[in-house]
Amino acid sequence: MKAEYLANTTLATLLDPTATVWQQAVATTIPLTGTPAAMQPTAAIRNSWADRPIGATSELSVASLHNGVELAFLLRWQSANPTMDNGDNSVFPDGAAVALPLVENAPLMTMGAPGAGLDIWFWRADQGDTGREISAEGPGSTETLNTDRIHSKSQWQGGTWSVVIARSFAGSVIARSLAGSGHDQTLALSPGETTQCGFAIWQGANEERGGIKSYSADWLELQLAGRR
Amino acid sequence: MANSKRQMAMVMDLNKCIGCQTCTVACKTLWTREEGMEAMHWNTVNTMPGAGTPKNWEDMGGGFTDAGAQLGEMPTTKAFGEAWNYNHKEVFYGGKGQSAHLEIQGEKPDWGPNWDEDEGAGEFPNGYFFYLPRICNHCTHPACKEACPRQAIEKREQDGIVVVNEERCRGYRFCMEACPYKKIYFNHQKKVSQKCIFCFPRLEQGVANACARQCPGRVRFVGYRDDQDAPIYKLVDKWKVAIPLHPEYGTDPNVFYVPPFGAARFDADGDLDEETPRIPDEYLISLFGKDVLSSLEILKAERARVQQGEKSELMDLLIAYKWKDMFGGFDTDPQTLKWT
Repeated sequence: MKAEYLANTTLATLLDPTATVWQQAVATTIPLTGTPAAMQPTAAIRNSWADRPIGATSELSVASLHNGVELAFLLRWQSANPTMDNGDNSVFPDGAAVALPLVENAPLMTMGAPGAGLDIWFWRADQGDTGREISAEGPGSTETLNTDRIHSKSQWQGGTWSVVIARSFAGSVIARSLAGSGHDQTLALSPGETTQCGFAIWQGANEERGGIKSYSADWLELQLAGRR
Repeated sequence: MANSKRQMAMVMDLNKCIGCQTCTVACKTLWTREEGMEAMHWNTVNTMPGAGTPKNWEDMGGGFTDAGAQLGEMPTTKAFGEAWNYNHKEVFYGGKGQSAHLEIQGEKPDWGPNWDEDEGAGEFPNGYFFYLPRICNHCTHPACKEACPRQAIEKREQDGIVVVNEERCRGYRFCMEACPYKKIYFNHQKKVSQKCIFCFPRLEQGVANACARQCPGRVRFVGYRDDQDAPIYKLVDKWKVAIPLHPEYGTDPNVFYVPPFGAARFDADGDLDEETPRIPDEYLISLFGKDVLSSLEILKAERARVQQGEKSELMDLLIAYKWKDMFGGFDTDPQTLKWT
């Protein structure tokens, strides 16, 4: 897929899922699959989810745009029973994430590996427009980074979530010796480059949280259009 | 799993608990007064037999079975009991003290942390009940810790106390499903799991747990599990009268109970029948396992010795003549410390 370049487009416009720029953007439909129960990090989760369906979202529509400064993704998926907040303890909010590899072909299924981390842009329905930037180098290793450059805006209408998640291109240290890898890593993106992207969706109505989610089983190539 | 070097433990003597909830209030006042913690009671006292806190927790699953670690049912705040809001302003400050009375505002609750107090079981004149105080069991094999995909729950090396690292917790609540004792709460404000911390900041200053120090009934003994000169070791390992609750859950708790004798039965003629217990053995076995019978035998035999004028180390221990002796060396008066 390709992130087209729209000069003179503000971040506010990019963040608006109903904006005309998104109506004109080319969306790619990506099949999602549930994370395997056998891959869950603890025995209690593996044993108790072995016979339960994981991954209530089977399909995701993704489009991507950038304005030379910020890169944005519009994620759209069916959600008949959206969960906006935690409610009582048994209720989990819906969520979505975009992952980009710090090293080409870092393992997506395990959310990276030591020395081959991921940069994750995370949105959750109960956190308003405040997104989180997360780095991961394997299961259970996610760390929320002290950055405030993830922006998001969401809308649920007629059984569909439309969520925009955006981040500035500018790179800074995002992974500091995670999981003992011992070296800092950055994800600096530039227009004109080609990278990879992956996606995950959590449907709270299916008690999805943590490793219980739907995800794009493999990386998609992502071309970042150059500034003309 | 790395084992802790030492293990702090508690023994609660159920023959002495009067259900006054002073422990509950001591804990509530000290640890769970912040926003998001309104409905939390890290310490609860319930009437047994009863549905308890959260409601029907014993049927919720979790812990370890032959099939390995299990996630049980999620305990809800509704089942624990919401924090009720009252019309305090109206009654106390609104000039309506004579016409309005205190009542719960909003939806009327149908459960709370001590809802079935003193209901118990049995038929008159042989009804029976006892009080069961509960905190986190700080298990040797903690189901919560093993279920967490983020290693956000730690069992402290120095004392075996099980704590949630709120920096690592993401609020997934697998721990709440995994704990078979349903002793973990979710803070909806901070979006993290929270639970009893066995008053470790007090212990680090030599001060026993608030629930134990505040107990007017001298119910709770505190100390290192392996301190052979202290009451825990003597009650659990030497005399074998203090036993864990629901050992079949497989988590190896470090809170132990001296089981209740209960009152003697009245027979058909209205005479006391000392031979038949009012609290059925089967019920006690369902709570504490088969060891409860030998525990009660030992307790009865030692009690009989004292009744015949002999000395009993066990009875002396349980009477707790010297209050400070109950705390295994953690007997510093908190008022003598400077807290920062």
